[in-house]
Amino acid sequence: MAYNVLIVDDSAAMRMLISKVLDIARFDIGACFEAGNGQEALKILENNWVDIIICDLHMPEMDGAAFLEAMRAHKLWRSIPVVLVTTESREYVVSPLLKHLAQGYIKKPFRPETIRSQLAAILGEAYRPDVRELEGRDF
Amino acid sequence: MLENLKAATFEIFETMFFLFPESSDGHDCLFDGCVLQAWSPVAGSKSFRVGLTVPLPLARKMAANFLGLGEEEVESATLTDILREAATMVAGNFLSREGASAAFRLAPPQSVQFDGETRKWQQHAHYLLFSLDNHNLEVFLERT
Repeated sequence: MAYNVLIVDDSAAMRMLISKVLDIARFDIGACFEAGNGQEALKILENNWVDIIICDLHMPEMDGAAFLEAMRAHKLWRSIPVVLVTTESREYVVSPLLKHLAQGYIKKPFRPETIRSQLAAILGEAYRPDVRELEGRDF
Repeated sequence: MLENLKAATFEIFETMFFLFPESSDGHDCLFDGCVLQAWSPVAGSKSFRVGLTVPLPLARKMAANFLGLGEEEVESATLTDILREAATMVAGNFLSREGASAAFRLAPPQSVQFDGETRKWQQHAHYLLFSLDNHNLEVFLERT
C-alpha cells in the first residue's frame, strides 16, 4: 500500500530533507505533497487524499497549531495522523498538542532513523520494511 | 552560558550537517569573500538573538551535507534557508540546555549576506569561534 504524505514546513530545505529520509527508509510513498505553512497545507488537503502529515510548528501566515486545530475540525481530515517535527520544546506548548492533535513529536535536530521509527510506529502493521534491506544503508 | 552555546553548536553541526567544528582560540575572526549570517531572535524576559556567521564555501558544504547533494547542486536560495534553520536549531538547543525553553520564544529566523571586502562584519559581544575544514565559523549571542 502506497502512502500519501504531506510535509508542512516553511523551510524548503527541511521539506527536501524529510522527503529524502522517507525515500531512503523505503517507505512506500505514493505522493509526497509539500506546503510552506498551514494555509497551503489546508489547500492541499482540500484536493488530495493524505495518509500522514509531518508538520513543523513555527511557520508564517498559519502556524502548525492553528493548522492542526483547523484540520481536526474537519470531519474527513480529523483522523489523519500527524507527526510534529520542530525546534519547539516548551512542554506547555507541545504537551496539549500531543494530547489532542498530534500522534508523534520529533525535536530538531533529529537523526533520520528517528523519523523512520516514528512513522513506522504510527503506520504500524501497514508498514513493514525488510530490515535486512535497510541494514548498512546510510541513515 | 557560552559552554551551552558551544555544546549546542556541536550537536547541531554533528547531527544535521555531519561536520565537526573545532574550537578556535583566535580572537581575530576574519572572513574573506562572501559571508552569510543568520540568526534567530529570542523573546522573553530578555530579548536577544543567537546566530551564525559563515563564509560562503562553508555554507555550501553545510547545505550539501544537509541535503545529501553535491556542493555544485546547491542553489543560492537553499544556502540562506539552511543557515536560518541552523540558527534556529542552535538557538532552540541552547535554550534547552540553559533550562530556559519555557521562558523564551523563538521568532522566525533572519539572514543577511556580506561581501567580505566591505568589512561589514563586526565582532559580537558574546561569541565563539570555530575552525571547520579551513574555514572560520562564528556563533554569537547578543542582546537586542
